[in-house]
Amino acid sequence: MSEEQDQSQVSGQPQRTPAKAGGSKSKSKSREAREQAISPQQSVWPFVLAIALVVLLIGFIIHPIVLGIGVVLVAAAIIGWGLERR
Amino acid sequence: MATIVERPSVVRRRRFGETYIGSWIMTTDHKKIGIMYIVTGFFAFLVGGMEALLIRTQLAIPNGHVLGPEVYNEVFTMHGTTMIFLFVMPTLAGFGNYIVPLMIGARDMAFPRINAFGYWLVLFGALFLNASFLFIGPNGFSSAPNGGWFYYAPLSEQQFGCGVAGVVGCVNADFWALGILMLGISSIAGSLNFVVTILRLRAPGMTMNRIPLFTWMTLITAFLLLFALPSVTAAAGLLLLDRHLGTHFFQAAFGGDPLLWQHLFWSFGHPEVYILILPAFGIISEVLPVFSRKPIFGYTFIAWSGVAIGFLSFTVWAHHMFAVGLPPIAQAFFATSTTLIAIPTAVKIFNWVATVYGGKVSLKAPMLFALGFIAMFLIGGLNGAALAVVPFDYQVTDTYFVVSHLHYVLFGGTVFGIFAGFYYWFPKMTGKLLSDGWGQVQFWLMLIGVNLTFFPMHILGILGMPRRIYTYPGNLGYNELNLMASVGAFIIALAILVFMYNVIVSLRSGKEAGTDPWDAFTLEWDTPSPPKVYNFLSIPVVRSRRPFYDKKNPDIADWKTATH
Repeated sequence: MSEEQDQSQVSGQPQRTPAKAGGSKSKSKSREAREQAISPQQSVWPFVLAIALVVLLIGFIIHPIVLGIGVVLVAAAIIGWGLERR
Repeated sequence: MATIVERPSVVRRRRFGETYIGSWIMTTDHKKIGIMYIVTGFFAFLVGGMEALLIRTQLAIPNGHVLGPEVYNEVFTMHGTTMIFLFVMPTLAGFGNYIVPLMIGARDMAFPRINAFGYWLVLFGALFLNASFLFIGPNGFSSAPNGGWFYYAPLSEQQFGCGVAGVVGCVNADFWALGILMLGISSIAGSLNFVVTILRLRAPGMTMNRIPLFTWMTLITAFLLLFALPSVTAAAGLLLLDRHLGTHFFQAAFGGDPLLWQHLFWSFGHPEVYILILPAFGIISEVLPVFSRKPIFGYTFIAWSGVAIGFLSFTVWAHHMFAVGLPPIAQAFFATSTTLIAIPTAVKIFNWVATVYGGKVSLKAPMLFALGFIAMFLIGGLNGAALAVVPFDYQVTDTYFVVSHLHYVLFGGTVFGIFAGFYYWFPKMTGKLLSDGWGQVQFWLMLIGVNLTFFPMHILGILGMPRRIYTYPGNLGYNELNLMASVGAFIIALAILVFMYNVIVSLRSGKEAGTDPWDAFTLEWDTPSPPKVYNFLSIPVVRSRRPFYDKKNPDIADWKTATH
């Protein structure tokens, strides 16, 4: 008995997100829309910020110029992350 | 005559996030992040394991020549650092990431992007630390950290860090300190996420008294990390200041104090031991009831003994420092607190045994590893209690007795717990069952290997063999015991090869798992295997500690009979 088959039976109480009324087509459309709405959105900035931090650390070890590049990259990644539309 | 002109169809270019690689790089889905943590952790386990095999090959016979002293220092340092920071912590974080939101009926972690950031820091932190092997230092050897995973000052300072008299300017300690800082940021990001997720995103009805014990232990671990990491972060920062700006925090010759490092490090380092073991306690507390067909015995005691362990773990750090010459009152305090922590730990063991007692026990692979965990962890706990006795500690401090103790706890305990988790949740993550037959082979090989490797180390320690030495002469009575330990290490390696074979074969042609292969009790099993990206289309409502059991057995549901 999977979640999709019977989500409402966990404790015998009604489910929190009631299915919308309508034909099967509109039902599946509304479900798809809701699935998109509740799925986490992708973002490349966590990856970019982590890489920028590594460049900064490698710069700390090998050369101040690389360190400076790392600082710029970290700043850019933080700004990019902050400006990302959700 | 009309002609039909075909209009070229509009083909949208796939966005990067829709490609296979892009979907992993850009993911914020806690399940994908959990899998990435676990896979990265396992690769680190292989690296740390190979370093262990190098150590055991070097020590198999007296006067070994496999590794020189400089390389040996790097290998044992990176073995400890890798196993603790790059294998155990990420793997347990991976299980937490994957399982906790599903267990509590949430759709994701509270901060999905910070969650992804935490993972990428671990991956790049691992690459950064291991890249140190590629940098040749002024001493002619690689720049891998070489001062132990605890990196005691003043050996980490510029004038001693190369390990060769008169040579300065090595960056081994910089790699270690910067790597630890980076991994610390990751752990703080992950811990904040777990705390907020567990406290704020639980399904309706899932009170703190009903959250699964794995979630409880993950929550306590997250708090431990938040409170323990600042001290090692401060220590690493001060070390970098000493090394690069000429401060003297840890240099006795200039009025600094090397013991300050030990206090700062171990006030992180001992809670760290519980950070490494508490999630494994949680895994065991999920596996034992399912494979005994009983509710967990003493849920409240197990949960609150975890909290007690968390508090007490901050009061025991100086038992790592008995030999430095602490005043008697401090020794008495830390000996007492260390002994006290055995009480909540024993409470857990009693409850686990009582859960199994009288149950319909099914000895599948997850259960075998869970039972192996109890037995091995018990040995590690008992010899740990022995080390709390100050006069005994004086005799065996920095000997192989301590190596034996920590490996019984962290390998016999945590690693067995991790494999219990692998076998238990692999079907949920992949939709395939791991072969139980190969699982049993792996378990028995590991049980034999662990005891053959680490039990003789008790005796080696009592005989006086110091830890961290790269070789030993042949006339001290260490030879046979060292050979046994080395043979045991290769048996463990064989067990891991069996596991890898099992995973590959099961992924290719394993039995379909279905949604609930173990007839389990908690909400993660109420989803398809693997679960959809949004976990639950409708958020479930919870009325007891075993919500999925209630759903499958409405007539005898827990909420009809139990008061919690």
